[in-house]
Amino acid sequence: MKKFIAIALSLLFTASLAACSGSESPPTDAPASNAAASSAPAPSAEKTDEPVEAPELPAEAPSFDQINIGDYAGITANLQFKTHRTDIVDTIFQGYIADFQKIYPNISINYEAITDYAETMTTRVSTPDWGDICMIVTTIPNTELINYFQPLGSTSVLAETYNFADNKANAGVTYGISSTNNVQGVLYNKAVFEQAGITAVPKTPAEFIDALKKVKENTDAIPLYTNFSAGWTMGAWDAYIGGSATGDPDFMNIKLPHAKDPFKDRGDGTGPYAVYSVLYDAVSQGLVEDDPSTTDWEGSKGMFNRGEIATMVLGSWAIVQMQEAGPNSADVGYMSFPISVNGKQYASAGPDYNYGINLNSSVENKIASLLYIKYLVENSNFDYDQGGVPTVKTHELPSTLAAFDGIELVADNPAKESEEDLFTNINVDSEVSLNMDNQHVIDIVEAALGGGKTLAQLTDEWNARWTASQEKYGVTPE
Amino acid sequence: MDEHRVKRRRAFRQRLVSQRSQQLFTVFVFLLIPLTLLGVFTYFPFAKMAQFSLYDMRYIGKRTFVGLRNYLDIFTREELFRTLRLSFYYLAASFVQLALALFFASVLSFKVRAAGIFKGIIFFPFLVSGIAIGFIFKFFFTRGFVLDTLLIFMGFEQSQLPYWLRDSQVNNIMLAATSVWRYMGQNMVLFIGAIMSVDPQLYESAEMDGANTWRKFLNIILPSIQTIIVLNMILSITGSISAFEPPYVITNGTFGTGTYFVVMNSMAHEKQKVGLAAAMAIVLMAIIVLVTAIQKIIVKVFFEEDKNGMIFSERRAMKKRLAKKRKEASA
Repeated sequence: MKKFIAIALSLLFTASLAACSGSESPPTDAPASNAAASSAPAPSAEKTDEPVEAPELPAEAPSFDQINIGDYAGITANLQFKTHRTDIVDTIFQGYIADFQKIYPNISINYEAITDYAETMTTRVSTPDWGDICMIVTTIPNTELINYFQPLGSTSVLAETYNFADNKANAGVTYGISSTNNVQGVLYNKAVFEQAGITAVPKTPAEFIDALKKVKENTDAIPLYTNFSAGWTMGAWDAYIGGSATGDPDFMNIKLPHAKDPFKDRGDGTGPYAVYSVLYDAVSQGLVEDDPSTTDWEGSKGMFNRGEIATMVLGSWAIVQMQEAGPNSADVGYMSFPISVNGKQYASAGPDYNYGINLNSSVENKIASLLYIKYLVENSNFDYDQGGVPTVKTHELPSTLAAFDGIELVADNPAKESEEDLFTNINVDSEVSLNMDNQHVIDIVEAALGGGKTLAQLTDEWNARWTASQEKYGVTPE
Repeated sequence: MDEHRVKRRRAFRQRLVSQRSQQLFTVFVFLLIPLTLLGVFTYFPFAKMAQFSLYDMRYIGKRTFVGLRNYLDIFTREELFRTLRLSFYYLAASFVQLALALFFASVLSFKVRAAGIFKGIIFFPFLVSGIAIGFIFKFFFTRGFVLDTLLIFMGFEQSQLPYWLRDSQVNNIMLAATSVWRYMGQNMVLFIGAIMSVDPQLYESAEMDGANTWRKFLNIILPSIQTIIVLNMILSITGSISAFEPPYVITNGTFGTGTYFVVMNSMAHEKQKVGLAAAMAIVLMAIIVLVTAIQKIIVKVFFEEDKNGMIFSERRAMKKRLAKKRKEASA
């Protein structure tokens, strides 16, 4: 009995300790949104020492390319801004407001950060008075944008200046400007690479595996940390099979539904197979963490920063989190996925949320909104500071993405008309579930660890199911 | 005419105020709300699910009627039906759990110093939320962490220890053990409640007859709390068939720990095969109904007292005795 009590007590205490360490690191976007909502900025009117005469406003708001910072000086407006960034709404965004009000003292901006953004905003947008500026939720199809958002100008004109101007566009008109842009690559720790004696960033799957081997031989760091047990980190591997692995913007949405055996080994180190083979080989050759079943995502950020992890395969959004997880932010490097197509490297890229203006706002609010978005996109450096690809084409890449200089960014083209849901239909029906679930990538790790199926056997199964679903939806594989 | 009408009206009023109709009216009004809620939130969704199980569908988009194809898929696709085998791990664990709970309940029902504290400690895990337990045990089983440290302290080598959540020889046992840790306290509290209702005079008289604690447990406690044991067993067995939380929060069904329920959840929410998942749910329900029925029959045949107050084993013993007597008599 005594023994049992001892064991029970020790269990209890260790368990409660573990519980503490588990909850120590809350998710980054934890701050409550209601706090953000109540903190309205100070009224701006007091700051104006000399009254500027209110400008004459046109009957219609101008297009985004025709408006410039400095126009309409003295305009008065009170803007409501809905954002998903609960983490920086009280800090960085307030700084933008103060900076913007040096130019436009009579425009006040109230941010509201919404924790459950996509869901909440989808409902709110359906009412006319949700505010003035928001991040356009992806649930609204592009054909519907015209009913909710102020047109910003002709897509072809805006595309000369801005990246991904066609993302929220329909029939040649753009309704949203991207706030920042993500690029898909691989996180690597520069200090570990140097210590391992890796001089050049690997460009092919074979070079990458060699680099991982060097890390294992020459350092104590884990060569590739899979973050297996978090689950979603496995699904992240799907992001590389399109642009990064083929260099073809049509691959994902246009060619994949029609392709014959798309997951087959192409033999030249490109295509989806090459992406998954990096994972399979790394796992089967013991180049990953000792026990993938007990990885810890929050803890992995600090480990990466301290140089205990050499590489992680995650989108560029993760860069800032890795930098902030410890003192060695300069060691955080980001490279393109190690695949070269005919000797050239590509990287899948795409816009984050886009800024959109309420179609039902008053003209002065629309103009003020245009000015503020213009400021955010061109002057605030928001995209650069967040480690993303800048929206303005002439802006330079942040230093973390310096390795992407000369690498062509590929944004997936949308599916052809009348085939909008073909990819989804086949993807769901075949249960390959690219970008939907993590199971197929988890299967790769399990197979590589257990020494069961080979990657070729796995991809053959996917191909067979893909083909069966193609038949079901009347597609003849080409 | 007038008289007649008055009479009828009075009759109606009388009927209205008569006790019987008032009773009926009250019953109807009181039942209206719970029955509506039950219908709207239990039976209607269930009927909808049964309907969905006949379709090839996602949450949004077109639905195609496919008849019983989803059900056929469940039984022909080995990777789906095979997951039911994992239930045996949880089944075995639930018996361990009930035995332990019964043991602690019996011990703690007698005079034990600081019984309240022990009850609290054993019951505590049940109060922790399932997600927190997932965190706790992920760290507990991590290589070189809590469990490994404890075992190394006891003399094991790190290299002798398996990867608790990765090695398919042990991972399901470990997950089942976490559910024992969590639910044992709840079973124990139920048992303690039942044991407390036993008349203490029985113990006294048993003591006078010279019964030791084991005999008291076997002959007084066990028969008195039989009903609650059977109930707990039914709950445990149905629970082990639909085991979900430990594998979902700790391993997310990886490395061969995906129970039927975990796979069903992933079909419904990740792979968006709503029809197939609905069919899986209905098959699961059928299995649970079947198992519960079998259990009921077994309990009825073996443990229920007949009109002479005897259970199966006693009847058999008596039959044997009678047969023996008859033999002796004939000899």
